[in-house]
Amino acid sequence: MDAVWNISFLQELLLSTIRMATPILLVAIAELYSERAGMVNIGLDGLMAIGALVGFLVGYNTMNPFLGLLAGAAAGVAINMIFAFFTVSLCAEQIVYGMATNILAPALASFIYRLSFSDTSVLIKGVAQDAAAIPGLSQIPFFGKLLFNHPPLVYFAYILVILTGIFFSRTRPGLNFKAVGEFPRAAETMGIRVINVKYIACIICGALAGLGGAYLTICYTNTYSEGIVAGRGFIALSAVIFGRWVSGGVMMACLLFGFCDALQIRLQLIFPNTPYQLLQMIPYVCTLLALIFFGIRKNGPKANGQPYFREER
Amino acid sequence: MNRKDTAAKVIIPVLSILIAFIIGGIIIAGLGKNPFTAYGYLFSGAFGSSQKFAQTLTIACPLIFTALAAAFAYKCGVFNLGGEGQFIIGAVTSIFVCQTTGVTGFPGILLSLALGTVMGGVWGAIPGILKIARGLNEMIVSIMLNYVATLFMGYVYTSLLREGSTPQTAAIADSLQLSRISDSFHVHWGFIAAVVLAFVLGYVIFNTSFGFKIRAVGMNPMAAMFNGFPVKKLILSSFIISGAVAGLGGSIELHGKQFRLMSGFGQGFGFDGVAIALIAQLNPVGAALVAFFFAVLRKGSSTLQTGMKIPSSVVDIIQALVIIFAVGGTVLIKRPSVQKMLNRSRKQDSDKEGAKA
Repeated sequence: MDAVWNISFLQELLLSTIRMATPILLVAIAELYSERAGMVNIGLDGLMAIGALVGFLVGYNTMNPFLGLLAGAAAGVAINMIFAFFTVSLCAEQIVYGMATNILAPALASFIYRLSFSDTSVLIKGVAQDAAAIPGLSQIPFFGKLLFNHPPLVYFAYILVILTGIFFSRTRPGLNFKAVGEFPRAAETMGIRVINVKYIACIICGALAGLGGAYLTICYTNTYSEGIVAGRGFIALSAVIFGRWVSGGVMMACLLFGFCDALQIRLQLIFPNTPYQLLQMIPYVCTLLALIFFGIRKNGPKANGQPYFREER
Repeated sequence: MNRKDTAAKVIIPVLSILIAFIIGGIIIAGLGKNPFTAYGYLFSGAFGSSQKFAQTLTIACPLIFTALAAAFAYKCGVFNLGGEGQFIIGAVTSIFVCQTTGVTGFPGILLSLALGTVMGGVWGAIPGILKIARGLNEMIVSIMLNYVATLFMGYVYTSLLREGSTPQTAAIADSLQLSRISDSFHVHWGFIAAVVLAFVLGYVIFNTSFGFKIRAVGMNPMAAMFNGFPVKKLILSSFIISGAVAGLGGSIELHGKQFRLMSGFGQGFGFDGVAIALIAQLNPVGAALVAFFFAVLRKGSSTLQTGMKIPSSVVDIIQALVIIFAVGGTVLIKRPSVQKMLNRSRKQDSDKEGAKA
């Protein structure tokens, strides 16, 4: 028992935290862009599912992980355009179309998978993106392996956090973006093209959510199975609220959820007699508790979730 | 206003279903298979014999309950995505009642259904309480609770009440199973209960003062508050009722069809229920009809897969397309430009009628 709680256990736990947090982080940043433009997209699970499948398929056929990731992102954009058209152009309710995405995209993914591989009993291995150790930095004891020895997509996710933070607080397009989420009518009178910004937000959201899905099948495991997303989209959604709509906060929230997930898997190994279902509940229960104690809905964009009727005066 | 709007309420879903089927047909044709034969398989799988039709109705039963649950909550302006969790909790409660209390026969069924309903309501109350007390997003909370409920059910059938080597509980006693309507037509009475409940909820929502208040909160919570309606209390009660309906559905599914808990019990019923409620535009009786349509698709999809080697998920794609078009259609006719066009044609109609007179 004591042997388990040593330094390498801690290192493995934290390493796995980062691995688990990355897909949630990518998707949470996706939702952050969407919600900053006033679009609540609950279809993240669906976008991830299609990203996971298309990424897997393209990776499997080309044996190129980068192409796979790119294709996953493109698939996310394509599916999210349905959401964008109906909610932005037709002003339909966002929640409803998020739901529709959650039904359509996983069904599409499972349909395509069954057509591509008629025998679903065999687990098919796709391509995996290898870890790219950063020379020099990865040699640092303990932290080197923890922080600088990951697949490139992991670095991308954390760089994205910084870039997103700068974008929303220091740049003109970023402030325009926020204006659309806060008060679209005022933004429009200031010459901001609200409809365009909302579409751009949907493109970014689809791409990053698709990428988050593709991470699961290319960087995390190199197989695809139905239900691989397992509610991560909804955890990302709560990470945005918990992180108070700022990229740094969202990152902390994702790391917390990643930690719960990593811990849960390790606890299963340490306590084989405890029913594993009770341990698997940990990430979901932690999400709930985090929301109960810190998730006050105040800092959100004011026009979040409301349709913008351009013709209405 | 009225006649054309009611017509639109029927025409839009029917048209959406038609378009979704056409797109589904194109996909099937793209696989190099004949879409007409495929749909033939689909419908013969659902209606082919009285036995198959009975199975279709049995599949519709839980969908009606989760759809009613979703519709009722959304009438009050809150999204209950936790139908699946409440459904499962209802069934888990019932299996405990059946396996541990030792009551048998009709009183046992009543007790089990009642407790399943209550526990479904309790599970549904959690997102409601968190919403009114902490302002939490009810969708996220109810989804998280779905995962917790599913895992808890897994714990029950793999450890707590497991019987034998396969991870499942023992079947409930024969005397606790819901009886069939007739020996030749194998539909359990739960289906009748579901249909009756649809009419009851329809009456409550549209013809009682409680239902009026619920709808008022759903349309404009601010205005409802200024009118002195207890908005928070109404939101909470809509969650409790919604959860109770889903919980009852889970209990009935256990007593009428599955008889035991195992992996996959209730899976997907919550989201399907929300989809059905949306297509039916939150009308409880309409929801029962759409649930029947979904059951036809579910039942037929297995025939489609075995008969023509078309993945059954094509049916899920069709279902999603129906939502996309049905909701899109209702939004479209509310657009100012479309309304103007409709008004013009309406005016011409009345002019013509005037000329005749």
